[in-house]
Amino acid sequence: MGNRSSTAKIVEMHSLAQWNEKLASTKQSNKLLVMDFSATWCGPCKWMEPAIEEYANTYPDVEFIKIDVDTLADVAREYKVEAMPTFVLIKKGKEIARLTGAKKSELRNLIERHRNSN
Amino acid sequence: MAVSGFEGFEKRLELHFFGHHNDPTVTMGLRLIDFDSLNQVLRVVQCAVVSAVGNHFFDAYVLSESSLFVYPTKIIIKTCGTTQLLKSIRPLIHLASDLGLTLCGCRYTRGSFIFPESQPFPYVNFKQEVICIEENLPDTLCFRKASVMPSKLPSYSWHAFSAGDGEHFPADDTFTVEVCMTELDRVMARTFFKTSHDSAAAKGMAELAGIDGINPRAIVCDFEFDPCGYSMNGVDGDRYSTIHVTPEDGFSYASFECVGSVYDDQDGIVETLKKAVQVFKPATVSVSTTSLHREAWTTVVRAMELLGLKCRSFVMDEFPAAGTVVFQTFTAARRK
Repeated sequence: MGNRSSTAKIVEMHSLAQWNEKLASTKQSNKLLVMDFSATWCGPCKWMEPAIEEYANTYPDVEFIKIDVDTLADVAREYKVEAMPTFVLIKKGKEIARLTGAKKSELRNLIERHRNSN
Repeated sequence: MAVSGFEGFEKRLELHFFGHHNDPTVTMGLRLIDFDSLNQVLRVVQCAVVSAVGNHFFDAYVLSESSLFVYPTKIIIKTCGTTQLLKSIRPLIHLASDLGLTLCGCRYTRGSFIFPESQPFPYVNFKQEVICIEENLPDTLCFRKASVMPSKLPSYSWHAFSAGDGEHFPADDTFTVEVCMTELDRVMARTFFKTSHDSAAAKGMAELAGIDGINPRAIVCDFEFDPCGYSMNGVDGDRYSTIHVTPEDGFSYASFECVGSVYDDQDGIVETLKKAVQVFKPATVSVSTTSLHREAWTTVVRAMELLGLKCRSFVMDEFPAAGTVVFQTFTAARRK
């Protein structure tokens, strides 16, 4: 049953410390983490937003976070983000897949493929 | 030839802007047009975004009927089917003006429609299109030219319109190549029919067709249409490339467009063009090369000849704010 009054949380990382803590937490479980590298000025990212919100609602067992490439430029650099949006899928602290570009069904397929795998 | 089918031949619009007081640091410019407003324009044109990607230089959108590229001071929209592309001119000028940007150049080009009777007004003939464009251009763009560049084949002409203000020129070493391919190899064309709906498992059309090998450096953003059809944008630094495929027999069509520089190693561009055309093995190729430099077309000829294609026609003309446009057609060497 969907409860539309509370939308699933897509947490935005505001600091390096917050990100490091999030990354460390992924090592505690087998939960899939989806990183959304985007920018406030990025049109393609804006177009993709409704899809990400939908997936966050559809897959409550998956964690979604947003990383602004200007605010956390170091993290963007570390993950070699060249274009936006870029989605990096993390499990147990490691990158297991990535998708460059606002590609709705491809992102959903990646999430489906990796949410339960080990 | 089918009585009527999907029109693959695109209409292409390119708009150039400049910042007030000639601000050289227009870093984001048109990219600051909020997405909802851009989407509204696309709705008026009768197309929609199906996938997109942006990098430090520009935003690239794959549309339901082709592509949109947004640079800080330049917008390129290419649409096929029966879209109303010219309806985008007025709203785009308005949106740019809100950002302090003024129109300084406009280019509109297209090949010859396979199904001209299926086009809505004003796309019924080039003259009407030009009248429609001119109705929406400010008087400052006073240097204008419209021309139909013929080939030896009656159904293959290149229609070009260009307007400029005579003051702002793209200080450019680049050239744009627009390749239109028809009568695609039938076996090859089957690759662009959707076979499996489980795209997680199946190899994508791009991989099967060898499209991802055309420019390995580029980030590919593509879309596979149901039941058939394919579109992709390639993003490589500040350069775009784009491919659109209508695979149905009887009106099969594929386009490839890319940007090169006269300072590049031309062998690289020859290789890219050759690979792109090789994917489709078309019976006829028509190419339009636009550049401020007159020799850019020779690169195209080299690529086509490597594929055993012979140049059957050649027309060169000068256009304001666009430079030299060369239109050539090629068919297999053994054909007449």
